[in-house]
Amino acid sequence: MNNDSALKRLISNPDFSRLLILILMFALTAVLQRNFFAMKSIVRNINSFTPLILLTMGQAVVILSGGLDLSVGTALSLMTCVLTSVMKEGAPITGLYALGVTFAVAMAIGMINGVGIGYLRIPPVIVTFATSFIWLGIALFLRPTPGGQTVEWFQAFYKIRNVEGSPPFLDALGEIVPPALILVLIGCLLWWVVSRTKTGRYIYAVGSNSQSAYETGINTDWVQMRACMINSVFIFLAALFFVGQNRSGDARMGDPLTLKAIAAAVVGGIALTGGRGSVYFALIGALIFSFVSKIIFFANIPNAYQTLFGGVIVIVAIAGSQIYTLSSRRTVEESKLT
Amino acid sequence: MSLVTSIRDSSAYKVADRYKKLIIAFLLIVFLFVLGEVVVETFFSFGQILLTIKLAAFIALFGLCQMVVIASGGSGLDLSVGYTATMTAVFTAAIMDGQNANLWMAILVALGLGIVIGLANGVLTAYFKLPPLVVTLAMANILQGVINVYTAGRNITGRPSPVLQIIAAKSSGMFPNILFILLILTPIVMIIMYKTKWGLKLFGSGSNETAAYLSGVNVKMVRCTAFIISGTLASLLGLLLLGNMGIAFKDMGSNYVMPSIAAVVVGGVSLTGGDGNYLGVILGAIFLQTLTNLLVALGWGDAGKWTGFGIVLFVLLIVYVSNRRRR
Repeated sequence: MNNDSALKRLISNPDFSRLLILILMFALTAVLQRNFFAMKSIVRNINSFTPLILLTMGQAVVILSGGLDLSVGTALSLMTCVLTSVMKEGAPITGLYALGVTFAVAMAIGMINGVGIGYLRIPPVIVTFATSFIWLGIALFLRPTPGGQTVEWFQAFYKIRNVEGSPPFLDALGEIVPPALILVLIGCLLWWVVSRTKTGRYIYAVGSNSQSAYETGINTDWVQMRACMINSVFIFLAALFFVGQNRSGDARMGDPLTLKAIAAAVVGGIALTGGRGSVYFALIGALIFSFVSKIIFFANIPNAYQTLFGGVIVIVAIAGSQIYTLSSRRTVEESKLT
Repeated sequence: MSLVTSIRDSSAYKVADRYKKLIIAFLLIVFLFVLGEVVVETFFSFGQILLTIKLAAFIALFGLCQMVVIASGGSGLDLSVGYTATMTAVFTAAIMDGQNANLWMAILVALGLGIVIGLANGVLTAYFKLPPLVVTLAMANILQGVINVYTAGRNITGRPSPVLQIIAAKSSGMFPNILFILLILTPIVMIIMYKTKWGLKLFGSGSNETAAYLSGVNVKMVRCTAFIISGTLASLLGLLLLGNMGIAFKDMGSNYVMPSIAAVVVGGVSLTGGDGNYLGVILGAIFLQTLTNLLVALGWGDAGKWTGFGIVLFVLLIVYVSNRRRR
């Protein structure tokens, strides 16, 4: 009896079952994909998962602080357009200018969203819906059609070996540790540092109960704004990877990622009401989401069905997580009673 | 009694206060027309106003879908209206095939599709308590996917029935026929919203969920119904869009989603629910269409349109919705 309830508690522990699902999906993909463990396909998988992972972690920070950002997709698009507009093909130094300008743009995006969500207290969904169209409009001004120039060394964000004249040891390192993985690690490191500071704890406090956080003397508006700016850094990292990979900017490329990032965060156990969940588990949510998409890809579904399945997965994932959370909370409470 | 209080007590002030947001929306439209006349010549004419109203009618009709959902509260919004309309248009074009005799069949299909989509949205948001925005955005993806699957490897065929074309595209004398639809619909909507028991329940659920529940209103049911109404209206709007354009194509409705929400905000309808003056939404739609005309006349195209809409929405959110409560 006792043994039985311990098992029950373990299974109804959401984090445990999330890891279990991840392992299951991982195994399933490994079976379906040929040469799954070959270095080449590992790198390719990491590359295709990276943008969603970064955006999901950023989104998770905003949701934890009690917000929600519907503008991440168009913000990503805008950053790729800014990057490719500042850079000039023949002049390597313009790459540095582009990094500086785009980081400033990223901070501005985070601040504007933060002012709306935090200081003005407009419902986050609505205000970021409005700003998403501002980013889209500006991106279309810069780049009505996909394209633009990049400097040669920018490919280092995708594949170091593609850069001519890079030192051999860096090439070798890039083969073992792909740049995409480094970008994700930078993201993890960023959150690790933030979560050790007051800001990290304040984000949870504001997200779970803004009123009492305020009453204990936390500047709630400023905390929510900081969450939005951290999100912007994650989007910035994703933009670097995208431009490194495609060597072009595109005002429409980010659109489908917004919804996926929210859904992946929910799969990772981030409660949409704020203040509950872990950014690292959001990363696991993004991995689960990516593996599922991969499995569907292997099931040989025609291209035309992809949007359809994308939408269905989102609804099933969110509804499933919601039902699971509700029922597991009940199980835990029941097992405590007995 | 001071002057200030005597002004506050005067009936003119009360009327002005009550219709403050309508007056602001109206003044914004006038301002845009004056600005347009200064910047672009021949912007302000009777014909131009009628044309603007005709184009704005579609935004206003989509705005009605949003308004019903928003009024029911629970931070409801329906982002699937665009693709609901597109799907209906794509499917019914083939059914009608330019024949009036097939119109009733098309209407039945439209009603069926609208009810099913609205029901799915409503159940997921009201009963499963999922955020409406995420659900309806995913629903939009699903519908877009269905359209992609349907159109893969085949052309979209068929034309609307002549009756639809007369209603949606033609004019009687100077006045576009769609204007009459709006003129008939507005009083009906206002009566349902403000004079019926159901309207009261809708506003009750929107303004104070707990109070509505305690006084015996089935809040979940009301919200679910609001989504069904929105889906059905959007689906029927697909027929009108088809009538207006003459053919169906893959993205015909998606450009109306953002303006329909913006129209509700510009019209001064509270986004937190419990309020729904359709006249405001119509004025909001006219404002947005005038803004589009102005930006097009300036040659700023799509980029200018979306930036302009985004900024207008953001600024009005600050003015109307921003909640800087003193703590």
